[in-house]
This record gives sequence, C-alpha cells and structure tokens, in this order.
Amino acid sequence: MSGARERLSFDARVRDALADPLLKVAIDRTTGNARTKRAAAMAAWPGFSSARELGRDIKDHVIAHLDHYLVQFERNARASGAQVHWALSGPEACDIVVAICRKAGARTVTRSKSMLGEEIGLPHALQEAAIERVETDLAEHIIQLAGDPPSHIIWPALHKTREQVAELFHAHHHDPGTLDSIEAMVASARRELRGRYLAADVGISGANFLIADTGAVCTVTNEGNAELTTTPPRVHIVTAGIEKLVPSCAHAMAMLRLLVRSATGAELTQYTTFHCGPKRAGDLDGPAEFHIVLIDGGRTRMLAEGLAEMLRCIRCGACLNHCVVYRQIGGHAYGSVYPGPMGSVLTPMLDGLPQSKDLPRACTLNGQCQEVCPVAIPLPTLLRGWRDRIWSTGLESVTVRQGFAVWRFLALHPALYRQASAMAVWMMAWFARGGWIARMPLAGGWTRYRDMPRPPRRPFIAQYRRRMPRP
Amino acid sequence: MSDARSTILSAIRAALGRRRGGSAMADEVTIAAEAEHLRARADATRPDRLRGGAENAFLERLVSPAVAATAERVASLSDFPAAVRRYLTAQGLASSVALQPHPDLLALDWSGIETHGQIGIDEPVAVGLALGAIAETGTLVFHSGPTSPTLFAFFPTHHIVAVETGRIWNWLEDYADAFAGCAQPRNVNLITGASGTTDIEGTLVRGAHGPGWLHVVLFGSAAPSPDRPVATDPPHFTSLDNVK
Amino acid sequence: MLQDSSRESAGGPCVGLFVSCLVDAMRPAIGFAAINLLEAAGCRVEVPLQQTCCGQPALNSGDLAGARQIAQHTIALLEPFQYVVVPSGSCAATIRVHYTELFHEDPVWRARAEALAARTHELLSFLVDIRGWLPKQVALPASATYHDSCSGLRELGIHAQPRRLLAAVEGLSLRPLEGNATCCGFGGMFCVKYAAISNAIVAEKAQSIEATGAELLLGGDLGCLMNLAGKLHRCGSRVRVFHTAEILAGMGDGPAIGEAT
Ligand code: SF4
Repeated sequence: MSGARERLSFDARVRDALADPLLKVAIDRTTGNARTKRAAAMAAWPGFSSARELGRDIKDHVIAHLDHYLVQFERNARASGAQVHWALSGPEACDIVVAICRKAGARTVTRSKSMLGEEIGLPHALQEAAIERVETDLAEHIIQLAGDPPSHIIWPALHKTREQVAELFHAHHHDPGTLDSIEAMVASARRELRGRYLAADVGISGANFLIADTGAVCTVTNEGNAELTTTPPRVHIVTAGIEKLVPSCAHAMAMLRLLVRSATGAELTQYTTFHCGPKRAGDLDGPAEFHIVLIDGGRTRMLAEGLAEMLRCIRCGACLNHCVVYRQIGGHAYGSVYPGPMGSVLTPMLDGLPQSKDLPRACTLNGQCQEVCPVAIPLPTLLRGWRDRIWSTGLESVTVRQGFAVWRFLALHPALYRQASAMAVWMMAWFARGGWIARMPLAGGWTRYRDMPRPPRRPFIAQYRRRMPRP
Repeated sequence: MSDARSTILSAIRAALGRRRGGSAMADEVTIAAEAEHLRARADATRPDRLRGGAENAFLERLVSPAVAATAERVASLSDFPAAVRRYLTAQGLASSVALQPHPDLLALDWSGIETHGQIGIDEPVAVGLALGAIAETGTLVFHSGPTSPTLFAFFPTHHIVAVETGRIWNWLEDYADAFAGCAQPRNVNLITGASGTTDIEGTLVRGAHGPGWLHVVLFGSAAPSPDRPVATDPPHFTSLDNVK
Repeated sequence: MLQDSSRESAGGPCVGLFVSCLVDAMRPAIGFAAINLLEAAGCRVEVPLQQTCCGQPALNSGDLAGARQIAQHTIALLEPFQYVVVPSGSCAATIRVHYTELFHEDPVWRARAEALAARTHELLSFLVDIRGWLPKQVALPASATYHDSCSGLRELGIHAQPRRLLAAVEGLSLRPLEGNATCCGFGGMFCVKYAAISNAIVAEKAQSIEATGAELLLGGDLGCLMNLAGKLHRCGSRVRVFHTAEILAGMGDGPAIGEAT
C-alpha cells in the first residue's frame, strides 16, 4: 500500500491528498489541538526563549563532542550490563536486530513507537524474517491494522478520523464493543493488546535521549505501552540514532521541558523512563538481555555536509503542526518517513536529492517552523541549502534555468528591463476584463485558482520619470 | 560490528575537522566544564512553579487538569491502609489489592483488605510506595528493584501510591542531581498522572495501556535533610484533603 | 563609491526608495504613497532609476550566482544613500538579511552588503522606529483587518509598527484576524510551481479574512496582497485590499487592488 503511494510523483500524491476531504478534517482536528495546547504551554512559560537557546546549545555541545559522548555512553552502558552494537546504515541495523531476535528464538516481538524504526525499515525487515510484530502504541496499532505508513512523527495515525478508526477496530478487534466514542476505541485497543505484552519474546523501543554519564536510554510516552513492551519480554532492544546523546540526566531534564511542551503542550509526559541495563540480581521483573543499537544512517554525513544543525532535532513535531503545507497535504504526500519541514530537510539526505527534490521547494519559506522549533533549527536556511544544491547539481529543469537566465540578464540591464516590463504590462492588460485577469497564457499556475489584478498602464519607474523631473 | 564503530567515530572526527589525538580535540576536563556550565544555565529557564513551597506545588500540579491525579494527605505511613480502604470504598472496588513488596508497606496493618504480592496484567488495584516526587511537574519517582517491580505501576487499573512529604524534590534537575554518580537501577520511572493517549484526533483519553486512575497519598511532614531537599516551610495544605 | 553622508541634505535624511519589481510592474500607487509618507516624515526621497529587482527569486530558487550578480548591482546602486527604504518586508529582508549571507566568502562585498543592510529598512518600520512618525489628519471611516506577511514579521520583527500607524487613522477600526501570522501561501515561485497547495492555503486564509467581516484587508507586502486579493475576488468576496502605505497616504478612497481606475 505504502509502496504504491511512494511510486506516485509528488504532484500526484499532493493531488490525492487535497482531494480527500476526510484527511483535511483529520489533520485539522489533531494539529489544531496541538497548536492550541502548545501555545497555552508557552504562554505559561516566560523562560521559553532562554530555555530554547539552552536546548540548542546543549545539542550543539554534544554534536561538537559527539565522538567523546558516544564512547562515554558506550562505556557506561556496557558497565550496566547492556550490549552495545553499532550500525552504519538502516539495513545494517535491521540485520543486527533480526539477528538478536533469531538468537532469542523470537516468534513475536512487541514494539513501542520509534520513528527511527520506521526510518531504518525495521517493520519490513521483521516481516521478511517471519517474525510477528505487534505495535503497541495506539497510533502505530491503528496504522498497522490499516497497512499505512505513519503520517506524523508524534501522531502516526493523524490521518485517520475517529470514524475511520472505529471502522478498523470493528473489522479487526476480537472484542470491539460499541466503539461509539474515542474512549470506547481506546478501551478496545487496550483489551486487544493486553495479552500480547506477556506473549512477546522480544520488546523493541526507540530512544528520546541517550544519557552519556550513566549509559541509560530515556523514553517519553503517555500510554504506558513502552514499559509494557520493554519489561516483560526476555530481551529488550533499543534502536537509537547517534545524535540522541545528552551529557547527563540533568541535561535531559532541560531538554524534556522543551520536548514535551512543544510536542503536546503538556509539561511532562505521563511516563518518562530511563532504561539502564538488564534485570539486576533480585529484580522481580525486567529483561535478561538489554541491547542498544547505535545507528549512523546518514548522520555523520549530515555533520560533514552542512546539516549539523539538523542533528539538534528532538522529533517534537511542532514544525509539522505549524506548517501551512503539511496542514494541507498531510504526511503521506511527502512520500517519506519524516514529513513536514524537518522531513523536507532530512529526506533528501536519507533518500537522495533527485528522488526528493520537490520537498525542499514545496515550501513558502515563511519561517514559522523555525520560530516554533524548540532547538532553534534554521529550517528555512537548510531548505534553501537544498535548493542551492538542486540548482548547482543541475537538477533544476532547463526551462526554469533558461527563464532565469533571461530574467537575470534583464535585471542587470535596467534600460532593457524597463522596456521588457513596459511591454509585459501592456500585454497583460490585453487579457484584463475590468480590473482583473481571469486567464492568461503562461500564468496558468496563478490564474487557475485566483484572479490577477490588472497591471497599470505604465510601471512605476516610467510614471515617476514623467511626474518628477530628475533632480 | 567494531568495524562500524570505528568507521562512525572516524567519520565524526573527520567531519568535526579533528585528527585522532590531535590537539584540536577538546580534553575531557574542558568538555565536562562546558557541560556543567550548560547544566547551570537551566536554573534560570525554569517555569515559575514553586510558589507556596514544594509540597504545595506538587499537590497543586498533581490534581491540576493537566496531570489529573487525585491526592490526599495523611499524618503518617501507618494511616495509609485506611486511606486505601477509603479509596476502594469510594470507587466501589473490591477489597483486594496487589501490594508492592516494599518492607515499609508489608509492615503496615492491612486488615480488612486482601493483599497479594503477585501482580496480574488485569490487576484492578495496586498499592505502592514511591521513592519520591518532583514538585515542578507533579511527578512520582520509582526506581525498579527487588522491593519495587516496574510492572506494579503499569498493570493495574487503579494505582494508589504513598509518597513521603520529605522526599519531594523541587525541580526535575534536583532529582537528577540527587542520584548523579550513583549506581542506576534498571528502570527509573517518572510517572506524571494516569496513562493517557491523544492518538485519535488529538483528544486526550485516560487509561490507554497503563493505569486509568492514579491516587497519591502524601504522608509525614516535610523534614529537610541534605539528601532530601525541600524548598521552604510547606504551609498547611488542607484544601486537597481527601480530594477525589 | 560615495560616502554615506554625501547625499545628506541640510533638512531630513536622504532616502533612496527601492520600490521592488512587483510594485514597479503591478501597483505604482504603493511607490507614490511611499514617497508621500517619507516626505511627510521629513525625508528627502530619491528614486534611483536603475533599480530592477532585489534578486529574491534567484535566491529562493538556489541560483546563488545569479542572486549575487543582482545583489552587486543593487548594492552599488543603493549604497550612496543614507537610508534605503523598501515598501515590502520580503525585499527589505533580502537586502538586510540575505545579501550578507550571499557574500560570506567575499570580504569586500560582504562589508559592502553589511553596510547597506544596516541602512536598509522596510517602509512602515522605518516610519515608526527611525522617524517616530505617525499620520496626522488622515481619515478613513472603514473596518479593516491585517495580514502579517511572513518575511517582515519573522525576519524583520514587523508587527507593532503597522498597527500603531493605522491606529492613528481616524475612523479606521482594526479587527483581529484569526491566523494573522500564518502564511498566505504566496511564497514567490511556490504559488505557481505548487499551485494546488498554494491554493489550498490561500483559500483557508481567504475564509478567515471573510469571517472578520472587515471591509478592507491591509498588509505590507504586495506579493501576499495580490495572492489574497486574487483569491478573494475569485471567491466573490467584497473585501477590498490595499497596501498599508496607500491607506496612510490618504489613498484609501481610491481604487483597491484589482479595481478598475
Ligand atoms: S525540527 Fe525542531 S520543531 Fe521540527 S521536529 Fe525537530 S525539534 Fe521539533
């Protein structure tokens, strides 16, 4: 299902998204809620702007000493009994995870939501390995039933309305009940998944922060499914990007204030858990094996190729919720794991620029994403960086390049520019009816959806010349 | 996979413009000093949350709509079983609870309530003792261990938790600092209200996969001690007594 | 190169007006309004006749070499003036913010770009922040709502200034616009290259504008105003659209954007 969608062109995916009235309803309900709650949380936090500078500086500090912190983290994690693995790429990481599962004789794994898992293609890899995957996060459960890819990094099932969720649960749950309210749907999913936690051989989770000075892995969740995923099975595997480090637990706390408010408007998620090593002697629960897979997956390339600022990203989703483009087309139209502004910066690095060259350009550069980003990532600047690369590597169409060449020549030759613009406004006036132009050749992109005001008889400079004798 | 490890580390060093062991590599002391400086900056960025003292702030936050737990105060831990009984009656629950195997809890008089040490995945009620709490966010702190299994906080439908007034930290960082350099438990669980989800249309629903109800019983009076920092003299907190 | 002060007259400062290519081609009234306002604020205004475009389309399309050439042309043209004023937030931001970035590897041009950036202002913020000017005896009995164009708002911090200026217009009442700081979907080339997305954005925006019940929509950037006016007109709305400068210059009783003269 997702494969077919990805094969469509960006324009075709956009067309499908814009033609789906339910999608817009679903997007507005969730992102509208998110914006309102975030705004309230920020209004109650006068220290936000200095906290944001601190968040940026903590991440920059870690990135500037990433080798040091990775080595420190690995040392401390090993000391706590964790097994640490390193993977250069997504496929390599999947191989490691699958090998651990096989060694554990795993038939079923439970998984709590992790965007990195999607990024590296873990669901697919587990399927290939014939290991049953049970998604335990409610949204991931919904999209697993629907066979959809995630459409948001915080709310992966954001594209589903409550009515659509009810239909899905009705078709798939053993004991769905009435499903006449969101409460009833949540209860049905709770019943459905309850038995699966204890039956799993391996639990897989992601990481929000890696704590260098203890070797602990911090996850933040609201539902409680993460702990139910990572505690009962005999083996717990964490997949984490190498950029997730913070120096200490105290630094993680400063980052948590930013992350949670930016994501949901709450001050702290219901469950903030630091997982450190396997079950200790005397512990009554917990996994016997604890694995951490540290994944590069293009991150060192981002560091080398001018995208270091993007490594600050804490995946809060605020830039998606505030993006006018995301709010119209939703997550699937992007055709990648990460949608919205952060996705448009990441995807060309992860999937290659030729395949994703529409993403950095399908943006008005309005800057609201940067304004809300809790670690002050200059997203518009990074998107411009990709546009520069599209141009300089010849990915821009010949027509556009030629058009620009002509326009630039004119802009550098004012006398010719005056003549050309006088001619242009004169010709445009031909198509006007009253004050407006409703259709005009070469202006279809504009006039298909809006009218164009009729230009004046003469451009400003020409009028000014006549009116005001030169000084 | 040590191959990937060295490839990643050298790619990082190359990208950062350093040679292995080169002079441009900051030493550990410098990095630690920088990190400590960043840590110190956090204090000035925190939200205004502690007016009226830690105990007051904690309770206020805990019962606020955002956290939506219920809370009551009792004089000492020995009053906890009575509080549990009251809660069970008020909620119309059977008098049978999973009791966290903590010696302080086991030592209490639980007459009138059937208690058991095993917890089932559909346990209606679990009774526990938190290691401490954090005022800023209305958060309970649990460290996993022989007397505090993790799943006691995740299996039950109702979670009733006792926490000592003298163990309320002001800020998230104060908790972190209290255990900096100590051996870590397998799990540190910071719990802020009952489980919930906003996954369907962004609407908050309680009781997703973890407990649907969280009831906190605060006992004892605030007695500041070096390892249990408390902000100021907590004022008498009466308005939240027996809050449901 | 002329020195900064070479054109300072005995009276007020000498301002070079850069009208932007869009005002030049599509709405000269904004240029004339800007001249009136600057003169009323005690400036001597000159319009350098060799001006074309600030180069923003090239900059936003990744054509950095082209953007640099145009920037050099514009810098050389505008640097003789004590101040440069632009009746557009996004063009002013191009000169103030992006020219210096374009020359980060060229110390000579970088210095020239920085010097120009420091003297370049968007019109409405210049009137309030630099000249401390507010309109007197301008009246327009009407209700209006305001769209904060993104570049001016986020790159130059323009928010309070237009509201202060408009509050001094007698009889004009300003109504709050839901999502006033949300992009209108213009985005330069974006609005034609990704026309369907742009349309969805501006359609939503047009609805919020209609919902205010205001007679006028005002703003400070012609690109966004043309996008909004064009959509409002296509939807049959009767909201009339003006650049703020036109209202302040007492031209609010003249034709709005798209109204036949
Ligand atoms: S880029 Fe910023 S706003 Fe967007 S998800 Fe990352 S941290 Fe959040």
